[in-house]
Amino acid sequence: MASVSAPPLRGRSDRADRLREAAIGLAMVAPPIAVLLFLIVLPALQATIFSLGIVPSDNLVFSTGQHLIKSDSPTLAVYSDLLASPFIRDDLWLTIWISLVSVVLVAIVAYVLALYVRFGSGSLPRIVRSLYLVPMFVPVVIASYAAITFYVDRGVLAAILHAVGLPFASPAYKPSGVVITQVWFNIPFAVLMLGSGLDGIEQELIESAHDVGAGFLTVLWRIVLPMNMVPLLIVLTFTFIGVVGSFTIPFLIGPNAPQMMGVAIQAYFSNYNQPQPAVAMAVLLFAICAAAGAVYVWATSRSNKHAVTV
Amino acid sequence: MTVTRRREFLLLACRASLGVGSAALLAACSAPGSPSPAATTAPAAQPTQAAKPAAPTAAPTPAAAQAPTTAPAAKPTGDINLYVGGDVNIRDLWQKQLLPAYKKVKPDVNFTLVFDEHALSEQAVFDKLAAAKQAGAVSGVDLWEATGRLAQGGAAGLIQKVTSKEIANLDKVPKDSVDRFAGFGVPYRASSVILAYNSAEVKDPPRTLEDLINWVKSNDGKFTYNPPDKGGSGGNFTTRVLEAGIPQDQLTFFQTQYDESKEALWENGWQILKDLHPHIFNNGFYPAGNVPVLQTLGKGSISMAPVWSDQSLSYLAQKLLPPEIKLLQIDPPFAGSAAYLGIPSDSKNKEVLYEFLNWLLTPEPQNLIVEQINGYPGLDWKYMPADVQQKYADVAKAYSFEFSPQFNTDRNKQWYEKVAGTPPPA
Repeated sequence: MASVSAPPLRGRSDRADRLREAAIGLAMVAPPIAVLLFLIVLPALQATIFSLGIVPSDNLVFSTGQHLIKSDSPTLAVYSDLLASPFIRDDLWLTIWISLVSVVLVAIVAYVLALYVRFGSGSLPRIVRSLYLVPMFVPVVIASYAAITFYVDRGVLAAILHAVGLPFASPAYKPSGVVITQVWFNIPFAVLMLGSGLDGIEQELIESAHDVGAGFLTVLWRIVLPMNMVPLLIVLTFTFIGVVGSFTIPFLIGPNAPQMMGVAIQAYFSNYNQPQPAVAMAVLLFAICAAAGAVYVWATSRSNKHAVTV
Repeated sequence: MTVTRRREFLLLACRASLGVGSAALLAACSAPGSPSPAATTAPAAQPTQAAKPAAPTAAPTPAAAQAPTTAPAAKPTGDINLYVGGDVNIRDLWQKQLLPAYKKVKPDVNFTLVFDEHALSEQAVFDKLAAAKQAGAVSGVDLWEATGRLAQGGAAGLIQKVTSKEIANLDKVPKDSVDRFAGFGVPYRASSVILAYNSAEVKDPPRTLEDLINWVKSNDGKFTYNPPDKGGSGGNFTTRVLEAGIPQDQLTFFQTQYDESKEALWENGWQILKDLHPHIFNNGFYPAGNVPVLQTLGKGSISMAPVWSDQSLSYLAQKLLPPEIKLLQIDPPFAGSAAYLGIPSDSKNKEVLYEFLNWLLTPEPQNLIVEQINGYPGLDWKYMPADVQQKYADVAKAYSFEFSPQFNTDRNKQWYEKVAGTPPPA
């Protein structure tokens, strides 16, 4: 970065240059590290310690909570209490279930859209290409309310189906309502990601496969899917992390109980004034997300080794 | 842009968003428990204004102490800084009705209204008063409308205690509501939770809690309330039912103090609510707030619900609820609460304020409150004009009081576990 300033010199000044370069590099990386450290790492560490039963007396938000578990040495009592509660276990299962279903549906819908846009001909794919981007520009609160208006009892869809004479069971305020809205909201990113991967597959490769008699499904299974594996993994992990930690959509469209973790954390923290279990749930959620993050890291490092795909 | 470059760009964007995303995730995970070192205030602290550097417990920095003195407080007597929070209807009440009306009575008293939508910075005003006191400065707040923070501030010596000696009309206010804040505030308006029902479908509405519970059980899907943490109407309904199991002489304890072991007395009430669950609207669905309940009622999906008096009366006036919806207070009554105005101890305009508050507790301004926001008067109903008493005959009754904050939060959690957490029957 810094070496563009002067033509390279020899000997001692060469070394000084390298030192200067290193210093500049460190200086440039310092602000983000500081932000990361003070706004994220330290508070997260503090929260984790709090969830282990060590209550800081100088932090009123923590120490004024109700039903605190206080201990001098780290204890897992908060976690074992949490996991012993059938209520929380329901929340946890609902969160994982909604996330997995959403991820699978997003992957299927987005893949179909991406294939259509990549391989379809005529003007329709071009229209689809701009349509699938729409959810990206709709704020999530608006999208959630729109979904409620559309799907709720006596809502738009109910009215249409009633006019045609079809029965209707509203998905609003049920887990299925959350899944539908999550899928809708996550499609643009997934299609963009998968589409860019598909664009990278050489047309000649597919044509030569066709020449030796491979049908559409064979091409899809033997060439397109394997070559587009990394973008798919990225879509899966990103969607999973996004849905697991989501708040607005389940808060607005979700059932009263069980709740997704994001909603439950907020409720414990402010509505029940129990910051300790709230923080412990956040740590659990983070552990789940970290596992998904590991998959992402593995996928991208693999893609860097074999620069075939993205 | 070539395909390759677009791919690279996307990959880059992807990586960047992972960075941002995981950072946000971590922040989100840790945010609840991780205030920056300066912000060690109470949980409700969400100052919308610039954060005050000094919390009540922290030693005030010189900057904090100076900030208030630069506020208009230093102006001569007769200029009042009024801090009010609430919805826009409350702002309009002050800006368009109460203050202009007082201007006609006392033209030389000037009010500056500092309005805080939804009272999000109640904590910030509290911090300001606390910081000013510690620094020995003047806060610049002359009159403050607040909830629990007034009593808390009073206990900390930040709020002036008032009696009928200073404000003669305080004698005409129900004694219970004055005592509620130990005299650290003037209750100038109120509202309570009442029962709304659709008179086209319900000819003979229940008038006692027991009748109401029986009605819900025999009319499947026609009743709902919001989860207790999502709004006072459902919250006070829950409280009313829980109180069924609490001996009369222990009610005050639940309203003013806290002892977790006493929550065993709630079991009776939880059982009643659990029994109601299968009879609730939409197989046990509780809309997420006061307004969603009103909307469900307005759409005709249900025919009965607990609602706030002021909200439902305003909805009726705006035709957001059909005219068939009628309101009544049951026996024993649902809880309600008053809005209080407190005078910070450091105000230099106390005499002017006593006079103003005394005026505020006269029928004319009280009537403005009734007309404009459909609130209850702060005055006892018997001091109101006969036509107002007549109009509110069904709802203008004494209300009960809510649980203390700690009991309320425990109630919220247990409701989810014991009532909503029950899987609906297949």
